[in-house]
Amino acid sequence: MIAPILRRDLTLALRSGGAWLYGVFFFAVFIALNAIALGGSLNVMRPLAPALIWLAVIFSAMLSFQAIFQEDFNDGNLAQLKLSGVSLINLCTAKTISFALLSILPLLAAVPIAALVFDMPRDVVLATTSSLLLSTPAIAVYGVLSSAILAGRRGGGFLIVLITTPFLIPVLIFGLEAIEGFSKNGLAAIEFRIVIGLSLIAIAVGIPAAAAALKAHLE
Amino acid sequence: MINYLANPVRFLKFSKIATPIFGCLALLTMIWGLYLALIKSPPAVEHGQSVRMMYVHVPAAWCAMMAYTALTIASIVSFIWRHPLADSAARSFAIPGSAFTFLALITGSLWGKPAWGTWWQWDGRMTSVLILFFIYISYLALWSIIPERKKAARLAAILAMVGFINIPIIKFSVDWWNTLHQPASISTPGAPGMPPEILWPLMMMVAAYSFLFGWLSLRGIEADIIKSRKIRSHKAPAAKATIETL
Repeated sequence: MIAPILRRDLTLALRSGGAWLYGVFFFAVFIALNAIALGGSLNVMRPLAPALIWLAVIFSAMLSFQAIFQEDFNDGNLAQLKLSGVSLINLCTAKTISFALLSILPLLAAVPIAALVFDMPRDVVLATTSSLLLSTPAIAVYGVLSSAILAGRRGGGFLIVLITTPFLIPVLIFGLEAIEGFSKNGLAAIEFRIVIGLSLIAIAVGIPAAAAALKAHLE
Repeated sequence: MINYLANPVRFLKFSKIATPIFGCLALLTMIWGLYLALIKSPPAVEHGQSVRMMYVHVPAAWCAMMAYTALTIASIVSFIWRHPLADSAARSFAIPGSAFTFLALITGSLWGKPAWGTWWQWDGRMTSVLILFFIYISYLALWSIIPERKKAARLAAILAMVGFINIPIIKFSVDWWNTLHQPASISTPGAPGMPPEILWPLMMMVAAYSFLFGWLSLRGIEADIIKSRKIRSHKAPAAKATIETL
């Protein structure tokens, strides 16, 4: 039952007139603001670039978390899906995949462009992209979880950031450590394995918790 | 014991006796502990007089952890058995818990200035306590943003449980991050060779904080039970009125 929901989400996104691209624009704006605030000197920004890109991805993802269940909850789709016997775990899995595809992958595609404006070395670009790619499941799952907890609440924007921050801090720490580890050991660096572990823990804990939260809303 | 107290009426009967006991014990141990800590105990060799900060700082940090553990246990009970009293308990643990976390941060910062010469150090311990404070705040914010009590309790319980699983991960990652970026520069006062004239007031203060935590939580649960009763008794005439007008 995962594939039909996924297909529906992707179709809706494609017909939305490019609303899923706003995250990428936010990413670009965030990078530009950072460059302006830091004075625009490449020598200053080059060592900070991986951290800035990570922050841009995290903030962009956080701002799109609210939308994951909002519309489906408000227009009754969620209740319909539950009535039709879809298991909520499957629903949350599908939502995680669609969020990763629609909101995080476009950002990963934009990383090389950000690397150009920061003049990052090729190795660092590769390391940044792979650490982001490996932590995508964790970011998406915690987004689904917090969106499920706050489904149907207006003005939960700041709160959703507050709720997800503690969960994303380990991902951020090890994502950035992995970039440092890459320069010594490549993809075999131990930090990459920790990032994968964090993603797996997130899936194991976050998806059932998100399903439980949706159930609490729908009963 | 827990089964017996699960009934709100019996709980109120129990708390009528227990709450003043906790309050009195908190007051007595607090006075005695503060006397020992601030007046009687000697200044430490390395820290001088500023060591007295420890007696208010360390118990606050311990109580912050203890409160989150209690909050998680109450959340598990509330999630599995859907017991309204466990909801009240979880929420009543969170409020003093967040206050203790804040107190630990503030006193730690005040102690940091004379001890290390800086108000704040991004070391593993301080960072993880700060994150614990964020978790408490988001937990309490979730309670306040959702008006339906049962739903709020259930969602807050889910958040508390996921947060509890994440605490060791956060601790581990922050320690890792910290050791890579700066060598540990702090001498821990909890070393095993603590002399009894320092250990004794510290234990007294830990007892005082724990009784204070118990007293505040019991008061919170009592207030919650009474409040929910009031809401129930207010609802009845309103329901009658709508039937009559129909």
